[in-house]
Amino acid sequence: MAESQTKAAILERHRANELLRAATYPVVQRTNRDLSIEYPTIPPAGAIIEASVSALQQGQTHYVDVPGIAPLREQIAAFLGGRGLHAFQADNVIVTAGVQESRFLTIQMIGDLFGSIALPQVAHPGVRKAAGVRHLEIRHLPANAGKGLLPSLDAIRTTLQAGCRLLYLESPSRLTGAVFSQADVEQIGALLAQYDAAAIWDQGLAPWVATGHYASLAAQPAAAQRVAVLGEVWPGVGIDSWQLGYLAANPDWVAPMRSQKQIMSICTSTPAQYAALKAKDVYATTHDGQLEELEWARSEAVKLTQAAGVEPLPGSVVTLLAVRTAKAETTLRSLHERGFEVGNGADMGAPGVLRFAVMPDTTRQALQCLVEG
Amino acid sequence: MSSERKKGTDLLYSLIAQARTYPDAIVLGRGDPDFDTPAHIIATAEEAMRTHGTDYSPPEGILPLRQAIAERIAHVNRTEYDPETEIVVTNGGQEALFLMVVAAIGPGDELIVPEPNYNTYNDSLRFARGVKVGVPTYAAENFRVDPERMRQAITPRSKAMLLVSPNNPTGGVIPPEDVRALVQLAREHDLLILADDIYDLLVYDDYVHLTPAAVPGGKERTLTLNALSKTYAMTGWRLGWVAGPADLMARVRDLKAAINGPNSIVSQYAGLAALTGPQDDVIRMRETYFRRRRMVMDALNGMGIPYGMPQGGQFVFADISATGKDCVTLAREILTEQHVLAYPGSAFAPGWDNYLRITFLQPDETLREGLERMGKAMKKLGAGGEAA
Repeated sequence: MAESQTKAAILERHRANELLRAATYPVVQRTNRDLSIEYPTIPPAGAIIEASVSALQQGQTHYVDVPGIAPLREQIAAFLGGRGLHAFQADNVIVTAGVQESRFLTIQMIGDLFGSIALPQVAHPGVRKAAGVRHLEIRHLPANAGKGLLPSLDAIRTTLQAGCRLLYLESPSRLTGAVFSQADVEQIGALLAQYDAAAIWDQGLAPWVATGHYASLAAQPAAAQRVAVLGEVWPGVGIDSWQLGYLAANPDWVAPMRSQKQIMSICTSTPAQYAALKAKDVYATTHDGQLEELEWARSEAVKLTQAAGVEPLPGSVVTLLAVRTAKAETTLRSLHERGFEVGNGADMGAPGVLRFAVMPDTTRQALQCLVEG
Repeated sequence: MSSERKKGTDLLYSLIAQARTYPDAIVLGRGDPDFDTPAHIIATAEEAMRTHGTDYSPPEGILPLRQAIAERIAHVNRTEYDPETEIVVTNGGQEALFLMVVAAIGPGDELIVPEPNYNTYNDSLRFARGVKVGVPTYAAENFRVDPERMRQAITPRSKAMLLVSPNNPTGGVIPPEDVRALVQLAREHDLLILADDIYDLLVYDDYVHLTPAAVPGGKERTLTLNALSKTYAMTGWRLGWVAGPADLMARVRDLKAAINGPNSIVSQYAGLAALTGPQDDVIRMRETYFRRRRMVMDALNGMGIPYGMPQGGQFVFADISATGKDCVTLAREILTEQHVLAYPGSAFAPGWDNYLRITFLQPDETLREGLERMGKAMKKLGAGGEAA
């Protein structure tokens, strides 16, 4: 076929879009040697499967409401309310086809309202990819090593002073697990009010922070209407690959996101949503135990790295351990040779950082590669 | 919110919401088959929940599913695709549509669209900041997509043409000779083709569906969507796909990864079961749709309401000019007075104020009752009497 100029132009436009072509997070297979995951999961309980199948057998195989079935939105709103996010009711919630869809909807549709958005230098690669789908004016929030590669408050203030009124923040960081402290969150909330600004707050890893040590920006009374939150639905109880996420925001932002959700996929899959209704109960009985076990495993892994003279980056998420090493490439090769996958900070804006998932049995083995240098 | 969306998709959702307030509502508007998903697909999904429930998938979908899709396309559409590089699994035909448009159309680019058209194409174009160039079709011509009219719509900013066959909402099928002519037109003017084949297995009488990618010179410039929603009664599972040449599909794959990543693993295994398992239910459903199509046509004949010949799809596009009312007013009246929902034609494109889209996606008795109630409304408006 003679070369198509139309196709060539499309492909050139795509090639030039570095954001959209940002590294795709690796496709992992759930083995205990795959330490690139953000958190572990367990096989879905029989009760979860039965709940989903029962719904399907009773006819729930059709389109459902665009923002998600009402009982699930109510569950999510209650979950958020239980963590101090009282601004969100069921009508403020959209059930999405996974956390990446939450990222996309918030970044593109709220970004469109504000005209520009500040993205963290260090973030899940899906953040840049979502921003790259359609042109947005983007500013960057530099990472602060002392804050576990989260942006500093000064960087946030500078960005707002420069006129950008929408921030995207991860807390916990998807790379290091670092969180903004209560004091940080109060100050960010004050800055948003001072500059009439807003924030998209990825709190998806918050369930994996030891109890009592997490502060959400959306829980700040002054900031609640200025913040959209997003995350995964009932993580770690076996429905993670069924692709369910959520977002919650004020009504003025929910409306365009709901419309866009309808345009993109009409609704989220029914087997996943009905499974999630039961997954809540399993989460309630298993999550604390998972947290406790992983907290211990992480502390053991930290001791191992410290004994080898490597200080982990600050992080509060018990499922992750991030380290900076001058030998990242050789360590990665060594890990691959031994059958391990880990998260590469280079894919998230932080070359030289490796992220290990905390598994009770295999993380220590993988860290040996790091220790052996 | 754009005024166009308010008159399109949002209008339809407001009608759906109103219908829900009536316990005896009969919905002849939405394209959601009344059949539940066949039991064997649910059974396989259950097994997948147990054995594959925590598996991950690449953004483009698990390979066995893409292989099954490739085999389906080869068998039904006589087109070969490499499942490794030329197929991406999507959240239903809706996401496939969105991905095709965003992949092909950039800011200011023109997409040539035969009208009337499924309104999500308008919404997706707006997201991409593209421009729709509408090309009219006419009931008197059975909504033919005239290659010469399409040619006249081409400008230096044209980048692609949309070919939906069978068409939603008209049910028109583009005959093979026109498909060939349109592919040739695309080649001459270096246009891409966005092909919507979602109703390709629901073609009636002697009408023939030919997918543009099967025409020599078509595949390398065509993105084609399809889904399991309509044929397998799987609307709630959200399982569709885009197929196309590897270079364009690399862009589609990156967009998919950026927008929402992989589909639910459960839906993917359900889709695999649908495509590779017994097809008896599909055949049975199709035979039912054939019968119900006849019911709607006979009822409209009895009301004296003309319609475009429904050559394919799951609906009839009826001309309600004789009522003296515009379609939105009439749709609201029929809904309010008779609790029957049909979709106004103007929701699909401006200027189609004299049409209603009536689906036949209800059990026979319910459909019959819905048509009777609609007939009462029409009679009241003086539109009764046998059609010529």
